[in-house]
Amino acid sequence: MIHLTEQQCDQERIAGELRAIGGRLLMMFMTGAGDSRELRTIASADGSVSCLRTPITGGSYPSVTPQVPAGHWFEREIHDLWGVVPDGHPRLEPLVVHGPEQPEIALATNGNGTSAHRGAERLSGPGVFVFPYGPVRSGVFEAAQFLVQTGGEDVAYCAQRLFFKRRGAERRISEVPLELAVLVAERVSGTSSVAHALAFSHAIESLARTEVPARAQAIRRVLAELERLYNHLQVAVRVCEDASLSVAQAQFAALKERLHRLAGAVVGSRFLRGAIVPGGARADLDTAAVSLISDTLGHWERDFRRTLAVLLRTDSFLDRLVSAGPLSTRDARDFACVGPIARGSGIDLDTRRDLPYDGYPPFAVALHADGDAMARLEVRFAEVDTSLELIRHSLGPLPGGPIRNPVGAFVRDTALGAAESARGETLYWLQATDDDAVSFCKLRAASFVNYGIFNRVFDSQVLTDFSFIEHSLGLSPAGCDG
Amino acid sequence: MIKWFLRGVSQGRLTTRYPRNAEPPPPRYRARALLDPDRVDPSAATECAATCLPGALAADAQGRLRLDAGRCIACGLCTDACPDGSLAIDSSYELASRSRARLVVPAGGDQAQQSGARALGGTFRRSLHIRHIDTGSDGAVEQELASLLSPYYDMQRLGLFFTASPRHADVLLATGPVTRPMEQPLRRTYEAMPEPRVVIAAGTDACSGSIWQAPEVLGGVDRVLPVDVYIPGDPPSPIALLHGLLLAAGRVRDAPSPRLERRPGTAAKASTR
Repeated sequence: MIHLTEQQCDQERIAGELRAIGGRLLMMFMTGAGDSRELRTIASADGSVSCLRTPITGGSYPSVTPQVPAGHWFEREIHDLWGVVPDGHPRLEPLVVHGPEQPEIALATNGNGTSAHRGAERLSGPGVFVFPYGPVRSGVFEAAQFLVQTGGEDVAYCAQRLFFKRRGAERRISEVPLELAVLVAERVSGTSSVAHALAFSHAIESLARTEVPARAQAIRRVLAELERLYNHLQVAVRVCEDASLSVAQAQFAALKERLHRLAGAVVGSRFLRGAIVPGGARADLDTAAVSLISDTLGHWERDFRRTLAVLLRTDSFLDRLVSAGPLSTRDARDFACVGPIARGSGIDLDTRRDLPYDGYPPFAVALHADGDAMARLEVRFAEVDTSLELIRHSLGPLPGGPIRNPVGAFVRDTALGAAESARGETLYWLQATDDDAVSFCKLRAASFVNYGIFNRVFDSQVLTDFSFIEHSLGLSPAGCDG
Repeated sequence: MIKWFLRGVSQGRLTTRYPRNAEPPPPRYRARALLDPDRVDPSAATECAATCLPGALAADAQGRLRLDAGRCIACGLCTDACPDGSLAIDSSYELASRSRARLVVPAGGDQAQQSGARALGGTFRRSLHIRHIDTGSDGAVEQELASLLSPYYDMQRLGLFFTASPRHADVLLATGPVTRPMEQPLRRTYEAMPEPRVVIAAGTDACSGSIWQAPEVLGGVDRVLPVDVYIPGDPPSPIALLHGLLLAAGRVRDAPSPRLERRPGTAAKASTR
């Protein structure tokens, strides 16, 4: 359980306090209404998490983004959703709200249109044009738009435009009965159902100080690592597809399909839904399920290693990935990136170790210093090994006892829950009412922070590498949009 | 490259023979709920319906239950909470229907008014080109769609292809509840398609909006466009998607409505006409 140290902070001192804490900005959002509005800024350093509480009486406060770049999207979201102006924000334009007055086509007009969105105005001159890519994209992709400014070959600037898929998940979680809310969390980012269910459940368990039985912890670890496996494989499938390596693509796709079939056979859902509830697990793993997992993953690992060995000796593949889409350690730190993207740029963080939960044993966090597309892919491949090892550890043998403890009365007003999805740290902050319901939920998926650096990794890259770079990031628009 | 060739042939044939042969789902697979309306205990109906987050189960004042498979997320909470035997979980992969009313048990009410019941058939029986559009999905159904290209499903063997241009498309396949920013892109993509054209709502979200009852969301795809084929599922499995696509081409039959028959084993058999 995460202990959240709360402290009051004047609105002029937020950025200074954040720098004094010296850690990573996790979330910024508003709570309350009218005169009781508060800005909450959550940051972590060395395993301790602090929440700065700042009453906002007027309609504005001094922006933290000039000193703490990681605040850039949070503050634009605050401006969009709560109408509070972060004074001095370098680029305060709409982020999460798509007004009806902004037809998509107006974005292609390179700054001459009436659109409030200044996404693609960085360059002008003969031959420079904006290529609007999305939200309906070629192939089967989620809805997101990229405004690529180019003279033909080099990407001069790439502005990302998301939140086409905003479904109001946070409000929905606070509206529905508490025992059903985890079902909403599972469907925020459908490929990270386990991680979202875990982060939400951890927050509820923290509100009620519920202990999770040892058997449920082991089941949770198995399912979370299984989910990590198929998400990392998905990145491999996409990158091989971009490199036109048809056999590798087919092989990784088949390996991924075997994991989904295993998930369907073990918990009844190919995306592991309905298995995790606050207080423990809903789905038990009986002896047959345990041996099915062990046997399947044994064969799976052998086939995975054989395919991977050939891939890592395929020069045409490596040539496309090495040095593509570089992200410097400094940018990754400044923009508070998480997950394999941060670890691929040499930042040593992993929620499973830093904000420990569900009894994870010690494990080595995969790191890479290069920061390019290859580094991110290698981090994922190393994490496949770790996940297989963690599953073996959890299953041998699975502890006995109950799989679920009842969630009692809430003993705290607010709590933060965290889990490491395949894309990185996933956070749920919940506020409780006196009668044990959730009155407010703020979630922050890994992709919300990681999309913030999307334009950075395209600096001085070429258009033909676009899909390599995008897919090496492995982001989820659904999780980002909420 | 020779190494890749050897890797490729080392695995043998993985591809399903569906729809010629049935593809059995694993026994525990949860596809949708089934209801036997005659077996409902009227005193417990309201309580049962309260366990259903998307409102797929609805109870009326007389204690009768109604199940809408187009809203069901197959969480299985209703079968845990209502032990009167009126509800069960279906593990069938084939869920698609050309009529929204057919997804409801007992049928009737306003749902019965809308009926697509149209399919391309004719010249499109052998080949379909599909334009996918994400109107606000959770991202899982996109991966299931992409896996139709994997060796296990290989949809091209059935003459099914994804196409980039709506001008080349016969089918508009929409995933997700329609969010407000995606309404115009959805309409414009549809308008760019030549006739005849078929609209498929893939996934429970796309069929009805399901759990996303929020001002940000308009609801199912049929709030914006006429939908010809509904593929429920959360998300629909690759076989469920294949079934829906073949249904649009007039090559398989609609799935049965989600009625729990007295004898278990109501899973639909794969059928080719």
